[in-house]
Order: sequence, then C-alpha cells, then structure tokens
Amino acid sequence: MSYLVIAIIIVILFSLGSALLGMLRGGKEGSEKMFKSLRLRIGLSVLLFALLMLAGAMGWIEPNTTMLPTQ
Amino acid sequence: MSNQDYYVPHGTYWPIIGSIGVSTLFVGFANQMHGVEWGGSVMGLGMAIIVFMLFGWLGTVINESVTGMYNKQVDKSFRWGMSWFIFSEVMFFAAFFGALFYARILSVPWLGGADNNMFSGATEALETSKYIWEGFQATWPLINTPGATGQSGVEFSTGFSLVNTWGLPALNTGLLLTSGVTLTYAHHALRAGHRNALVFWMVATIALGVAFLGFQIAEYGHAYHEGLKLTSGIYGSTFYLLTGFHGFHVTIGVLMLTVILYRIQKGHFDADNHFAFEGVAWYWHFVDVVWLGLFIFVYWL
Repeated sequence: MSYLVIAIIIVILFSLGSALLGMLRGGKEGSEKMFKSLRLRIGLSVLLFALLMLAGAMGWIEPNTTMLPTQ
Repeated sequence: MSNQDYYVPHGTYWPIIGSIGVSTLFVGFANQMHGVEWGGSVMGLGMAIIVFMLFGWLGTVINESVTGMYNKQVDKSFRWGMSWFIFSEVMFFAAFFGALFYARILSVPWLGGADNNMFSGATEALETSKYIWEGFQATWPLINTPGATGQSGVEFSTGFSLVNTWGLPALNTGLLLTSGVTLTYAHHALRAGHRNALVFWMVATIALGVAFLGFQIAEYGHAYHEGLKLTSGIYGSTFYLLTGFHGFHVTIGVLMLTVILYRIQKGHFDADNHFAFEGVAWYWHFVDVVWLGLFIFVYWL
C-alpha cells in the first residue's frame, strides 16, 4: 500500500515538473503542455487523497497519531 | 518595441528604497532583540517600506508590460527567472523533508542502538544508550530528543495522541486539493476566454486558501494546547518547521492570487498571453503538492 502511495507521488512530481517545462517553453504549445500537466497532477492528487482516506477507513494503513516503534 | 534586442530597463530608484527598507527592518530587529523600546516600531517601519517598494517596483513592471514595452526576449527571461525561483523553493522544502527522513529513518534508530555504532554493543549489557539515557526507546514521534538536558529518568516520549489525522489535517487536505481543482477550472476558463467563469473560480480558490489558513491556525492552537511545541524534540521541530513554512507559502500564494484577480479585473490577460497567471498557478500547485507530501509523511506513513 505504501509503495502504491509513493508511486503515485512520484508521478505527481513528474507532472508538476512537466508543467514547469511547459511554462518555461512558453507560447501556445508550452501553455497547452503546462495546462494538461497541471490537470493531470490535480487529478492524481485527488485520487491519491481518496485512496488514502479509503485505506485509512479500511484499516490498510494506520495513521501516525500515537507512538509507533521505528523498528 | 519591434526588435528582439536585449531589453535594458531605464534608471529607477526602487532598488535603493528596497535597501533602505531592509536596513531599517534589521536595525529594528537587532534592537528589538536587545530589548530596546523602539525596536518593534522601527521593524514595522522597515516592513512598511519593503511593502511600498514591492508595490511600486512590481507595479512599474506590470505597467511596462501592459503598455507593450516588453519583447519576446523579456518574456523568456521572466520564465527563466520564475524557474530558478521554483528551483530554490524545491531545494528549500527538500532540505526540510530531508531532515524529517534523516531523523526518522537514520538518527533516531541509531540513538536507540540500531545498526553498529557507539550506542550499540556486542551484548545487551554493553549498550551505551542504556546507561546514558535510561529508559530511552527509539520511537516515532519522538518528542523529547535525548541530549544534555535529557538525562536518565527523563521521559522521552509519551503515548498520547498528538494530532488527530482524521480531523483538521484531513479537512485541510481536502480544502487545499479543492482549491487546486478550482484553480485548474480558472486556468481553463482563462485559456478559453470565459471571463466570468475565470473570476468565479479565482475567488473560490482564494476563499479556499484563506479557509485552509484559518483551520491551520486552529490546528496549531490545538497541538500547542496538547503540549506539542517547537521544542518538543525532533518531532516538534520538524512538524512546526515544515507546516509553518508551508503555511507561510500558502499566505504568499493567497496574496499573489489576489493580485492576479485584480489584474484579471483590469483586463491584463488574454487567452494567449498570461505568464503572470501561469507563474502563480504553478506556485499554487507546488504548495498543494508540498502539503500532500506533508499530510502523507507526517500524518500517515
């Protein structure tokens, strides 16, 4: 479960980086690339949040609210 | 300007005003630290001069932009400038996230004798940490880091619930992600030339950002009341530094979005020419992602 979460975060970071490259390029093409990348990043983020809430509710992952042994 | 030569700005007095503002701020700050009576007010004056300089200088740049003084070369340099600023922001948060990971995954377990270091021994009887810090266990969140003040018998960690992940943090994540969605709708409306929709989604984004800040202040009050402070070990330090600097960035983002909304009202942007909007939009998405990372690594994983 944790690996899936981290994998989605990595894709989110990539789309954010792709949006930056689009902004840097500028013009019609860059503007288009930027918008599409940002749209992908917010879509994935909402999906990840929903997944986390579901995983928490189902007990697949436990929140860090109390003391947890590190080893 | 029709040619594409390097743009040379005219002479301006704003840099010296900025210098005066920063000097005034620090003279006030230094005297405030020494308990001088007028320190605070001089600090305030310095801050006011800096704000005045920002409005004046950036206002001049905006004015030059809308009166058509800039060419493609200037546009390119703005985009590069924003990119380097973003690079410094990414490095800034990478350092704080790095500190969190280092403490959690490496240094705290080491203090408890993990791996092979001076705190671990060949046999359990030789474990140094047992004698220096009696009762210390490498747990997370660690709210009382062992050190000169954390001697034997001092309680290092407590089991009570520090933060309720299901409460405000989850609500705030929802708010900030929704603001990312509304900003994306605003972005689309701008590119499609739907002015009214653009204004509506911008106002929604700003309102969600302000709501986030309000709940974050409430969350701090709650955490502080429960006994979680900046001095509460490595957990308290990293928690407040990460969330505090993030909240500061949201504040800046709200201010920038408000300026963009004002410029939209003034008709500064069109579907093909809106770099300022793009810069601020990227910044907001970035701050959003930082929060998502915080939510996941501080509260969940």
